[in-house]
Amino acid sequence: MAKKILIIDDDPIIVKYLTALLEDNGYTTCSATSGVAALDVVKREKPDLITLDLEMPEEWGPHFYRRMTKDPELQDIPVIVISGMAGRHAIKKAVAYLSKPFDADKLLLTVQRAIGLPD
Amino acid sequence: MKPKLLLVDDEEGIRKVLGIALEDSGYTVLTAENGQEALGVFDREQPEIVLTDIKMPGMDGISLLRRLKQRNPETEVIMITGHGDMDLAIKSLQYDATDFVTKPISDEALEKSLQKARENILIRRKLKEYTENLESLVHEKASRLQAVATPAAATSAGAQEPAESSRYQKLFDDMPCYIAVRDRRYRLTAANKLFRQDFGEPGAACCYELCKQATVPCEDCPVEKTFQSGCPQQTEMVFKTETGEPFNTLVWTTPVRDSQGEITHVLVMATNITQLQRLQDHLASLGLMIGSVSHAIKGLLTGLDGGMYLIDAGFAREDQAQVQEGWEVVKLMVGRIRGMVLDILYQAKEREVVRTAVDLAAFGEEVAGVIAPKMKRHGIRFEQEFAPGLGRFELDAGQIQAALVNILENAVDACLEDRQKSEHRVAFRIRRESQQVVFEVEDNGIGMDAETRAGIFTLFASSKADKGTGLGLFVAAKIVRQHGGEITVASEPGQGACFSVRLPAVGGGSGEAAEKSPRDQEA
Repeated sequence: MAKKILIIDDDPIIVKYLTALLEDNGYTTCSATSGVAALDVVKREKPDLITLDLEMPEEWGPHFYRRMTKDPELQDIPVIVISGMAGRHAIKKAVAYLSKPFDADKLLLTVQRAIGLPD
Repeated sequence: MKPKLLLVDDEEGIRKVLGIALEDSGYTVLTAENGQEALGVFDREQPEIVLTDIKMPGMDGISLLRRLKQRNPETEVIMITGHGDMDLAIKSLQYDATDFVTKPISDEALEKSLQKARENILIRRKLKEYTENLESLVHEKASRLQAVATPAAATSAGAQEPAESSRYQKLFDDMPCYIAVRDRRYRLTAANKLFRQDFGEPGAACCYELCKQATVPCEDCPVEKTFQSGCPQQTEMVFKTETGEPFNTLVWTTPVRDSQGEITHVLVMATNITQLQRLQDHLASLGLMIGSVSHAIKGLLTGLDGGMYLIDAGFAREDQAQVQEGWEVVKLMVGRIRGMVLDILYQAKEREVVRTAVDLAAFGEEVAGVIAPKMKRHGIRFEQEFAPGLGRFELDAGQIQAALVNILENAVDACLEDRQKSEHRVAFRIRRESQQVVFEVEDNGIGMDAETRAGIFTLFASSKADKGTGLGLFVAAKIVRQHGGEITVASEPGQGACFSVRLPAVGGGSGEAAEKSPRDQEA
């Protein structure tokens, strides 16, 4: 089964971009445009990796992350932060931090390091 | 002339007996039977020596001593003490009594004390004569200096020392800033050419009348501070010329001392920084914009990358629909970037105040709505207290909103920096006070000390230089000023802060009048 990546970003255009980029490279994706909605998606889809924006209107990335990691079943899902904010320390356990605008090749390499090739 | 002596004792017998003895010794004796009466006599007669019982009903001798010394520290006060009053006697010496004599009073002891008092008076008199001599010397010198400063007097002084005097006068006059010398009674004793040109001849007018067209002294007068502290001061002030045109100045003050080291005058130098301030305003609003848009720009650039990726990938696999989709994204992003650039250009421009009548309560809700998510995110309780019946008010909604949001953001920052309190809150209040509308933002954050407080709205002081743009309050103050309003802050370190913005109604119209204004009807 192809490795699945959950994309969390409040900007639908960035979701669209990441979806196209990752799917074109062989990963399957799912997405959420707010932290509030994302937790249900995580539970349902059990993704192998999450890309997470920090500043979102309804719930901030770090708050979502805190809620998610309270669930022992979900707490070990690796997270890549993709944000325009200079808040590297906001999620200390993130496997990587990419600042917007990010380099597509670098993202793919980071994903590969975290969860390996799509299959 | 016989020296005057005031004798204070509650026992009539003592007043009589001692009084006669003192008259015989060559004094004009005045008497009082208690402290209160003594003060009355003292004020009226100004005796040089006071002889007072230490234990009296009502005001005791020590209290009387202290009040006499307050009225005139040169008064020689001799205390009459009973046996076993040693503590009181010593205390009286601490309060600067000349001496004390113990009851029953021996002529010898009394004469010794009086002699001490007379000697003190004599020494002081000699010292005074000597000082006066010195002072007249200083005055002479000062009048020559004065001649340099004032052109009318310069002609007479110039006759004596033509070369030197005119050189100094020229130097003083040609300084490219305002220079004036002020005394303790708010009078300007000298002023240079530029000053006279812009504010007129000092004459008998007070400094605040000349420089600010005001009727009372300024609250934060740097000259007064220099008189009090003896230290130079630097501050920003708004001066107003006779024509009422306001401009910003940077003011320095420095004390001028006489030969005794007493500060008799303060030298004031001021330079017009209006142009500089305008430039700073521009920079400030730009800085604000950059702070708030940089995040958005990063998002837009990422979106643009996305659009280009979709187009590239669409071309690669000859997927017309994806190329189209990518192109739409690029167009959308370009449109947004364009809008943002125009916004920046608009913000950077000096903007005129465009007032429209707004519903104050709705306006307040809108302002609160901008900052509420940030408060929530940081767990700060946000209290909105809008007085009932606020009605409508004419203001530039966009600008005043920007000012209030800046102040509210500052309040959030103040809360976040505070590590003392477990719970933080920010209150946002709006109320009417007759013709004015008052906005208040109160937080329980870190607060400020007096120095920070004094500087927060000004050009050369920024307590938050290292983070954010640090210029938000400066811009807020500018906007409020442009509305003819007033922004003030009350704060103590650790106690939070309360910012008040007061805006006057235009043309003195009430809320109802504003509602019916022609402009509003057109709109």
